[in-house]
Amino acid sequence: MKNKINLFLVEYAINALLRRGWKHFFIVSIFTFLIFLLSSILFISDAIKLELNSTLNLLPEITLQRFVGGKQSDVPIERMDALLDIEGVSRAIPRVWGYYYFKPAGVNFSVVGIDAYEPQYKEALQSIVDTVDVKALENKHGMIVGEGVKKVLSENYYKDFFNFVTNDGRWEKVHIAGVFHSAISLEANDMILLPKKIAYEIFGMDSNHATDIVVKVSNPKEIPMVVSKINLLYPDMRTITKDDIRVSYQNIFDYKSGFFLSLFVVSAFTFFIIVYDKLSGLSAEEKKEIGILKAVGWSMDDIIKEKFYESFILSVCAFILGLCISLFFVYGLHAPLLRDIFIGYSNLKPSFDLPFSVDGGMLSLLFLLSVPIYIGATLIPTWRASILDADEVMR
Amino acid sequence: MTMTPEIIALLMLDALFLFFAIIAFVLSVRIFVKWNRHATTPVQYALEKQSYLVSVVIKYIFVLKIPLFLFFIFTCDKLSNIITGAMCAAGVVNSVEFGLYLTLFKIINLYLFGFWLIVNRADMQEEKLPFTKLKFLLFSLFFFPLVAEIGLEISFFASLNISKIVSCCGTLFSAASTSYLALLFSVDSTVIVGIFYFFAALVGVAYFLKNRLVFIFANGMFAIFAIISLIVFFSTYVYELPTHNCPFCLLQKEYYGIGYLMYSTLFIGTFFGMCGGILEELTRRSDVSFFTISIIFDGLYCVIVTLYPVVYYLNNGVWL
Repeated sequence: MKNKINLFLVEYAINALLRRGWKHFFIVSIFTFLIFLLSSILFISDAIKLELNSTLNLLPEITLQRFVGGKQSDVPIERMDALLDIEGVSRAIPRVWGYYYFKPAGVNFSVVGIDAYEPQYKEALQSIVDTVDVKALENKHGMIVGEGVKKVLSENYYKDFFNFVTNDGRWEKVHIAGVFHSAISLEANDMILLPKKIAYEIFGMDSNHATDIVVKVSNPKEIPMVVSKINLLYPDMRTITKDDIRVSYQNIFDYKSGFFLSLFVVSAFTFFIIVYDKLSGLSAEEKKEIGILKAVGWSMDDIIKEKFYESFILSVCAFILGLCISLFFVYGLHAPLLRDIFIGYSNLKPSFDLPFSVDGGMLSLLFLLSVPIYIGATLIPTWRASILDADEVMR
Repeated sequence: MTMTPEIIALLMLDALFLFFAIIAFVLSVRIFVKWNRHATTPVQYALEKQSYLVSVVIKYIFVLKIPLFLFFIFTCDKLSNIITGAMCAAGVVNSVEFGLYLTLFKIINLYLFGFWLIVNRADMQEEKLPFTKLKFLLFSLFFFPLVAEIGLEISFFASLNISKIVSCCGTLFSAASTSYLALLFSVDSTVIVGIFYFFAALVGVAYFLKNRLVFIFANGMFAIFAIISLIVFFSTYVYELPTHNCPFCLLQKEYYGIGYLMYSTLFIGTFFGMCGGILEELTRRSDVSFFTISIIFDGLYCVIVTLYPVVYYLNNGVWL
């Protein structure tokens, strides 16, 4: 197969593009913008997924929630003993936590109860707890808060304490004993850590109950067995494994970017029509040019090839340009505006960096979504132009 | 039905292909019926112009189909992360009954469209366009497997159920499996490897004897037994695991994506061997370059798959 690329044709194509620069400017800018939008969305969703998956690795193997009548309810702590008796379970930790709605700012705080001598279920949390003296915190009736919480509270004039309203309507005054900075800011931003005793008070919970129980299993291969044993022991407990969470993350983000992409398909179709229409309407000058080319001996094949080079160069340039802009937008500027689509619009929006995650698969996906569509749109107009008869257009 | 970005991309391009293929099909049928090289009517003149459109469209589809095939496997690989039980593309492909047929159709279509393109090239090189009627008849026929493939692909993604538990490649490609694949494992692997090398040698002999028919036949059998021997014998040396016989895991990055290289060389080698040979039968002109490309890539494939067991033996002193 001697299908060599004719460099003279490429040169001619580039010159033709440059000669009619303004005509193509419109198309290129729209196309660049479309690619920019598309790749930004996909980059953001991939980056957040990566960030979530990295926090996922730090989570315990199994989370147990109790469901009564389809609603989550508190777990009696005495179940812990039976859980610890299961072979393979290295540790079970009862957690006391919940959301506290702070009306003036319209935000939810995650309130997490900690205990002096109890290990935390997560290393990041443990490192925060290690820095504070929980006993002293209990005596002082204090709490430590995430940066986001601190900011919201001080905006509402709670500089050094906060009044929680408990379930039975009393005020629970808790001092702010400190602010923590966490590496995993995605979830720590809206977090309040306080002694379990206070947490029970605020939520109005029975102190021999826990919100849920996390179970650590040393050998990952034993997880399914442990899960089936727990299900047999306590049919009202729902077991959520790390793998379940990972799959649901993947689904959520595939769904979100898929939803966006379905909208993109519509705009891609519109773009297809625009390109088709734009290229179909040849000006008299262009017709004349094709006529001359044919008269000097170009075949239809040559003209089709030259036009193909034109559209290929155009679309690849727009692709690379759009890609570069979106790389800068997402990883340089941290995607203002666009990433709200994925994170939600809570006032306590965590601020975090998007980890870089671009691979060959992603690039080929973007390429396949953009360049073939443009070239497809040019096929028929190109052919239409190439069949013009020399004598007719030059007359 | 799950709508991951990859699936949407595949479906969108499928829709585009279908649109263009239908145009090309209608034109092909018309050209095939009305083509008369000796006529000087406006109809014939218009048909000649339309034949260009058909060939442009088919080139477009074929050039995109090659990366899309790899992209399809890549998508299935990625989906295996979220489908319970699947560990590579094999599990995902087999989670739907006709998944294997879809893959098969994709491969066959690559051969068919590639063949069409080299016929087209041969046709355009001659002043009298001797194969025009033939090539448009061919496309009118090839249109149906293409539509079948697109239809299968759409229904494949539509019926993909992520909550269903599927089998992983370890059970699909093993003697214990109940499918016809188990049949392969009932034959002694040395016999299959022997047949594979026999046909590889036959390709070489046919090349030196310049015997076209033997070359075509040997290449066809070589392609089939290359896949079978890859599943039964060679893959175990790539994985260095006697129980792992999957032809899809080769594509994963744990094995440096060696499968992409293997399958491309095998495809290029056998494609030029078979289609180039058939083309020469048609044109009655010999073009040695097809056979040379074919023998180079067939040889390359043989070297790659042979190296794995040999290196393994040299390192460990035993066969698997």
